[in-house]
Amino acid sequence: MKRILIQDTTGNLKKEKRDLHISFSTQIRDRGLTDQVQVVMASDLGVYDRGLAVKVLPEGVIYGGVELKHIPDIIEKTIVKGEKVEELVVERKNKQMRIVLRHCGVVDPESFEDYVAHDGYQGLAKALEMGPEKVIEEMKKSGLRGRGGAGFPTWLKWNLTRGVKGDEKFIICNGDEGDPGAYMDRSVLEGDPHSVIEGMMIGAIAVGATRGFFYIRAEYPLAVERVQKAIDQCYAKGILGKNIFATGFSFDIEIRLGAGAFVCGEETALIASIEGLRGYPRPRPPFPSVKGLWGKPTVINNVETLANVAYILLHGGESFGRVGTEGSKGTKVFALTGKVRNSGLVEVPMGITLREIVFDIGGGVLDNRQIKAIQTGGPSGGVIPEQFFDAPVGYEELQKLGSIMGSGGMIVMDENDCMVDISKFYLGFCVDESCGKCAPCRVGGTQMLHILNQISEGKGQIEDLKKLSEIAHAMQKASLCGLGQTAPNPVLSTLKYFEKEYLAHVLDKKCPSGKCASLVTYLITKESCTGCGMCARVCPANAITGNRQEKYTIDPDKCISCGQCYEVCKFGAVLRQ
Amino acid sequence: MGISKEDLYKMKDETLGKRPGNWIRVGYSTCGIAAGADEVFRILEEEAKTRKLDVKIQKCGCLGLCSAEPLVEVNVEGVPHVFYGKVTKDAAHKIMDEHVCQKRLVENHIYEI
Repeated sequence: MKRILIQDTTGNLKKEKRDLHISFSTQIRDRGLTDQVQVVMASDLGVYDRGLAVKVLPEGVIYGGVELKHIPDIIEKTIVKGEKVEELVVERKNKQMRIVLRHCGVVDPESFEDYVAHDGYQGLAKALEMGPEKVIEEMKKSGLRGRGGAGFPTWLKWNLTRGVKGDEKFIICNGDEGDPGAYMDRSVLEGDPHSVIEGMMIGAIAVGATRGFFYIRAEYPLAVERVQKAIDQCYAKGILGKNIFATGFSFDIEIRLGAGAFVCGEETALIASIEGLRGYPRPRPPFPSVKGLWGKPTVINNVETLANVAYILLHGGESFGRVGTEGSKGTKVFALTGKVRNSGLVEVPMGITLREIVFDIGGGVLDNRQIKAIQTGGPSGGVIPEQFFDAPVGYEELQKLGSIMGSGGMIVMDENDCMVDISKFYLGFCVDESCGKCAPCRVGGTQMLHILNQISEGKGQIEDLKKLSEIAHAMQKASLCGLGQTAPNPVLSTLKYFEKEYLAHVLDKKCPSGKCASLVTYLITKESCTGCGMCARVCPANAITGNRQEKYTIDPDKCISCGQCYEVCKFGAVLRQ
Repeated sequence: MGISKEDLYKMKDETLGKRPGNWIRVGYSTCGIAAGADEVFRILEEEAKTRKLDVKIQKCGCLGLCSAEPLVEVNVEGVPHVFYGKVTKDAAHKIMDEHVCQKRLVENHIYEI
């Protein structure tokens, strides 16, 4: 039996889609093919902005821009004869590539056997045979760099820790994922906990560690539950414990919960937290590789980094290194969120462009609005405007644009997002999360936030912009840890690319995107108002009064500028100024 | 004494050998559960049991398309292998009734991953 799948790739061809479905069904019936063909409405075929798309199964061919006139051709050629209608064929441009997420959604995360069936723990067995030097050599060939944000080469980190003498060494998996909108690590821990355990054990072999810790934030109860279950299974099977695979290698793993402080994702603060102390960072050097947990040499790797390790051992560093760019190897998982049609996790080879991620994989902007920018790297990252979307994704490449790869948050922003508001949000997050130990971060952040608040309320002065970038640079240079050093990035990058918006707030006292409530007024034009009363119904401040005859008006004294009337009016009668 | 490397290979082969021909996977991470994967999983299991269907219902992690959760992957002989997104209770019943029993794809829920 053949199947014809129909999808509206634009989101606004509902009627046309229905008509196409009906015509297909009728013509198939007329030709007496009803028993051999099923016509189905599909939600998403992975092609976008191609009008109506049709996919024929089991052939798998996809046609774009299909209209009623094409139906006889498709039935005659593809359904009856099994040929393609060449002029309509479109290719799916989804360039995802799964290495980190190779098992997510495939294996049962609570089954040891299922993981083993997918070559689980064979990387570990191989690493035990190879020995530490060769493991590190293989990691060097792969070119894997830390996925937590800074991008430090993993092999180098391991090699440094390996070179330090110590009676006991530790390896820590950093699962304190705190960036707003980022949840790659959670997904990996929940969907494939064994691969992270395996990666950690291979790391332990390389550096000579005998104990490992998972530091997972307590807000991820399911991740904690599944990792604990996986650890228990490993002990039961003898994968963890003493004399693993009869090689004399012994290793133990424990879980430690983070209590929700963002700064504990920073490695020295994380170590303090595991030791039971307050989550304060301390100056480096000495680096944790020399003096880490309880003063012993310690290596700290991010969840996603460790999830790559078993794959590299199993498939070879060279094959991993063939993916990606010169400086950035392999793939990266991004949490694509914001004003994008398909929000979720995407794993792409390094070197792919931002445009490909947003449009070919993400399906473009929600409601077909104009895209404005992408925010990458969370509160430590920056905003990248649309003119740079063809830049390849990589550690250095994103840094050049004033942002960072970060842990992998990627937030799509459209014309309705105000850049002053965005930087206020991210800076506000960092001010809340600043531990307060060093003055540049504690005082600098608060002062910058104060200035931004003034600007968004229309009380900003032109010299405030200069002051902002002065404080920002001081913070970058003088802060103790990564939190304070990177907290000004969202402000600096928006100032760089969207200075016009700041100027509009400061000089004209206007918010071009209509986000900053103090700078926006709403009013209803009598000519367009139909008197339907929708606006009055949604107004939370009861600021709108009127009736069908006299139309509606907004009381400016009561209006809180929330914009709900503007969103709900179908006739464009509510104006925003 | 723990398992050896040879035991791993044996376990792999055994698990692969026992793999069911017909299976349904339900995305069971935080995103899926928040969207109602719990209910969907329960319905699918119940239906499989009461109708005595030869199909194994399994849990798995998140495939990445979080906006389309709960996400259900169906692999049943005689029907193309597809993903169903935004699976409601109603759709879960339909998957068993139409896809598994009648070998017809369910309308309005197909997603490509």
